[in-house]
Amino acid sequence: MSGDIWNWNWWSGGLWPYLAVIIFGFLPSEIWRMMSIFLVRGIDEKSEVLEWVRAVSTALLAAVVANIIVAPAGALQFVPLWARAGAMVLGFVAYFLLRKSVLAGVFTGVAAVIAAALWAPVVH
Amino acid sequence: MPARNGMRIALQGPMYFLGLTFLGIGGLAQQADMPLGVVLLTTVLIWAGPAQVIFIGSIINGLSLPAIALSISLSSVRLLPMCVSLLPWLRGRKPSTLLAVFSTHQIAVTAWVESIRRLPDMPASERLAWFMGFTQTLFVGALAATGIGYLLAGALPKELAAGLLFVTPVYFTLALFRNARDAIDWAALALGFVLAPVLRSFLSPGFDLLFVGLIGGTAAWLIKRSLRTRSLKNSGVGR
Repeated sequence: MSGDIWNWNWWSGGLWPYLAVIIFGFLPSEIWRMMSIFLVRGIDEKSEVLEWVRAVSTALLAAVVANIIVAPAGALQFVPLWARAGAMVLGFVAYFLLRKSVLAGVFTGVAAVIAAALWAPVVH
Repeated sequence: MPARNGMRIALQGPMYFLGLTFLGIGGLAQQADMPLGVVLLTTVLIWAGPAQVIFIGSIINGLSLPAIALSISLSSVRLLPMCVSLLPWLRGRKPSTLLAVFSTHQIAVTAWVESIRRLPDMPASERLAWFMGFTQTLFVGALAATGIGYLLAGALPKELAAGLLFVTPVYFTLALFRNARDAIDWAALALGFVLAPVLRSFLSPGFDLLFVGLIGGTAAWLIKRSLRTRSLKNSGVGR
C-alpha cells in the first residue's frame, strides 16, 4: 500500500499530503472557477445569458438541498424523513414570523432536528 | 465603507452557518488522521465544503488519489454557473485576469447566495470591496471552525452532529427563498427541489445535480420568456 504512488500514504508525513491537496484537491476543483473567467469575456452584466446562468445556479442549489433532505449522509440519517421535512417547515414558519429573519429560521430548523434526534430517532 | 459593510453582513449569520459546517470538516479530518495543517490548507485552497468532505472521506476509505480528484471535479462543476453569473459584477473599471482569479476563488455557495442579489443593487464602485470584506470574513470564520472541529472531534453527541448537518440545507433554502423576486427565480427554485429527488435515481452522483440545474434553469428561463411575450402582447406593445 505504501509503495503505491497514487496513494495518500505513498510518502507519509513530510510535504506529500500538502502537495496532494494541491494536485488532487485544489486543481480539479479550481479548474471550474478558472474556466468561468474565459466564459464571461465580453458578457455584459445585464445580458440575458447571465439571467439563464443564474437560473441554472438556483435550480442546482435547490437540488443540492433537496438531496440532503431526501438522502442525507452522516448523522442526519438518525432523523426520520418526516422530521427532516418537518424541521424545514418549522424553519420557514420562524422565518416568516420573525420578519423574514434567516437567522431565526436556521436556528429553529436546527433545534427541531436535534429535538427529533433525541425523541424520535431512527433505530438502526 | 463597503468592505466593512460586507464584513457586517457576514457576521449577521453567514459566517456562523458556514462555520458550523466547517466544524464537521475539521472533525472528519481528525478521524482521518490528517495533520491539522493539511485540513486547514483544504479550507484555504479547495474552499468548497462538499469537495472537502469528499477529499477527506475518500482518504478515510482508501480511494486512490486520481479517483478522488475525479469525484472532486464532478462535485465542483456547480462552481462554474455560480462563477459565471457572479464574476461580471466583480470586474470593476479595470478588469484584470489576476483579480478575476482571486475573486472567483472566493466564490462558493455561501458567497454566491449572499452576493447574487446584493451586488446588482450596489453602486458599481463598491461591489468588489463589499464582496472581499464579506468573503474574507467567511474565510476567517471557516478556518477557526476547521481548527476547533479538529480539536473537538469525537466529543460531539450524534444528536448535535445531526443538527449541525441540517444547517446547510435550511440556510440555503431560506436564502434562496429570500433571494427570489421574479417568476424565473421561483420556477428555478421549485424545479430544482422537485427534479432532484426524481432524477437522482436515474443518474450517477455528480451528474444528477448538473442535469437538474441545466433542465430546471433552462425551463425557468423559458417560462419567464413566455410570460414576458404574453404580457407584451396583452399590452399591445408586441404587435
